[in-house]
Amino acid sequence: MNDSTGNKFTDLHSKMGLRDTFSVGSSGLRTRRVRAALSVVGITIGIAALVGILGLSQSGSADLLKDLDALGTNLLTVQAGDGFRSQQASLSSDATAMIDRIGPVYEVSATTKIAGGVFLNDLIQDGRTKGITIVAADLNLLRAQRGSLKSGKFLDEMTSQFPFVVLGSVAAERLGIRNTSGKQKIWLKKKWFMVIGIMEPLPLAADLDRSAIVGYPAAGKFLEFEEPPEIIYVRAYPEHIHDVRSVMPATVNPENPEEVQVGRASDVLEARIAASDTFLNLFVGLGAVALLVGTIGIANVMVIAVIERRNEIGLRRALGATKFHIASQFLTESLLLSVLGGITGVVVGISVTAIYAISRDWSIVIPVYVIAGGILSSILIGGIAGFYPAMRAANMSPTEALRTK
Amino acid sequence: MNLENRSPQFALELKEISKVYPGPPVVQALSDVSMSVTHGELLGIIGSSGSGKTTLLHIMGTLSIPSSGSMFIDGRNVVGMSDKQLSGVRSQQIGFVFQEFFLLPGFSALENVANGLLYSGIPSDERMERAFEMLGRVGLGHRGNHLPNELSGGEQQRVAVARALVHNPSFVLADEPTGNLDSENTASLMELFSTLNEEGTTVILITHDLEVAKSAQRKITLRDGRVDSDLSR
Ligand SMILES: Nc1ncnc2c1ncn2[C@@H]1O[C@H](COP(=O)(O)OP(=O)(O)OP(=O)(O)O)[C@@H](O)[C@H]1O
Ligand SMILES: [Mg+2]
Repeated sequence: MNDSTGNKFTDLHSKMGLRDTFSVGSSGLRTRRVRAALSVVGITIGIAALVGILGLSQSGSADLLKDLDALGTNLLTVQAGDGFRSQQASLSSDATAMIDRIGPVYEVSATTKIAGGVFLNDLIQDGRTKGITIVAADLNLLRAQRGSLKSGKFLDEMTSQFPFVVLGSVAAERLGIRNTSGKQKIWLKKKWFMVIGIMEPLPLAADLDRSAIVGYPAAGKFLEFEEPPEIIYVRAYPEHIHDVRSVMPATVNPENPEEVQVGRASDVLEARIAASDTFLNLFVGLGAVALLVGTIGIANVMVIAVIERRNEIGLRRALGATKFHIASQFLTESLLLSVLGGITGVVVGISVTAIYAISRDWSIVIPVYVIAGGILSSILIGGIAGFYPAMRAANMSPTEALRTK
Repeated sequence: MNLENRSPQFALELKEISKVYPGPPVVQALSDVSMSVTHGELLGIIGSSGSGKTTLLHIMGTLSIPSSGSMFIDGRNVVGMSDKQLSGVRSQQIGFVFQEFFLLPGFSALENVANGLLYSGIPSDERMERAFEMLGRVGLGHRGNHLPNELSGGEQQRVAVARALVHNPSFVLADEPTGNLDSENTASLMELFSTLNEEGTTVILITHDLEVAKSAQRKITLRDGRVDSDLSR
């Protein structure tokens, strides 16, 4: 300042470092905390919704995809459809053997529903069956389903001959049975059956989760039951699954192939993934709307701040702030607001995802891109919301800004 | 202060400055105003309401561009400079004191004074040091941590004076600095200006109050945007 030698004002520059820009930009928020907090609610909700819903759908469909992978897409279900001729179409009793003759088929397992109630004992029979169905099944059912046992054993050559029963996961839960040591009996179609196993859930045949499974021989001997297969589960080599599927009807019922229904068990899972995607799109849309509203909210608060703090702008210009400094101050303020909202939103979104996923026993999957995307979009929003107010503040004439009413 | 180092003769020199507000209606706020302000002067600019005092102060402070004429600060022509260059001039060479104080409410007295150096590129701890020293010079060394709303009007204006001086400007512009003060605070603020002036600060004091202008060695009277009289004591 003291060397005013007339050398073209090289010594006369307004300067402000990044740290000061940050501190000046945050000063407007520090002195108006409540308003700052309220103004970011929209952004917080929007980002939380997006992070939450993307996290949840990822966590949800991650498990579905994992299931699908483990369970395979090569399980066909064969059953009698609604025939034209006979009211009650059924499969023939040698259907299992005929399917087994198809080359690429490597596993065939039949099941048949048996009418009758399942109760914990012979005293409490209030007529309510707890929605548990008796099912006669082949011994390889569990293998065909790629299922596993929670405890005990599945039916084998011996136990399928006698009054032994394996419970589906839901059936066991409804009956309150955990013991498979051979001491727990249940009252099944008015006969005592010994529980020897409890299955884990079978995602490809959820009906079986609610069933009590007995062997065909035992069903014949103790339940006076001699019906042909109702649903046959078929595993074939994946690369031939389409061929197997197309020859299936004629193989099972050469006379009336149209009476045979063939489905792919995994289609149910795939439909659930697709459904969760639709759900996802809906919520992403809602989150986007919340973000838009949040952006407008921040822009609004910033415009008000610029008007209210006109004198501050004038003072800062008098102290030597350039237009750029003023613009930086308000842009910083807007960015801080939205990033604060964004970070809060990410934290809330992650928490919601984690809590929900834990409550549903899902694995928690929150992709990094969701977190990064949340923060980045809040930065973008801060820039967009702050741009006009910052420009307006910067272009205010200093004398106009210094005027008091 | 540092008078011997300032090579140009005048702290501020105006040559035939005019200012027209385009309106409508068109207002000729200043017409051919010329004056020179020597380093170390305490100049009072007086005039009735609407005579153009604030307009003149804004031009002297480079906050407003004259319609015609030339102006030199420390011998350098500032007319025609860019907005950015003018900001640089203000950050280094001009101090402002306003009628309304304009202290920032969320900042302590010390921080408000330090804000006078905010745009000068001086590191933060040095700004604080110099602000502390300056606050002592206006007699408020003990009130540095107080917020503006914890200070009396007179004290607030002293803080504002400290802020205007902390970067050691070529001159201080004060527009009705006593306008919001009672007579007691007015007297003590004028005393402060006199003391600072004796210590070397160039002060340009704008007021419509003749009583306030009494302490100025030189008085320029504006009438209808023209210099009506220029009297030295
Ligand atoms: N932005 C503007 N646009 C148009 N006219 C203006 C503007 N600012 C000031 N004027 C006019 O210029 C003239 C001088 O105004 P100025 O504010 O400089 O007077 P002043 O001497 O400071 O008065 P006061 O003592 O009331 O503050 C007045 O007639 C005023 O109406
Ligand atoms: Mg005025």
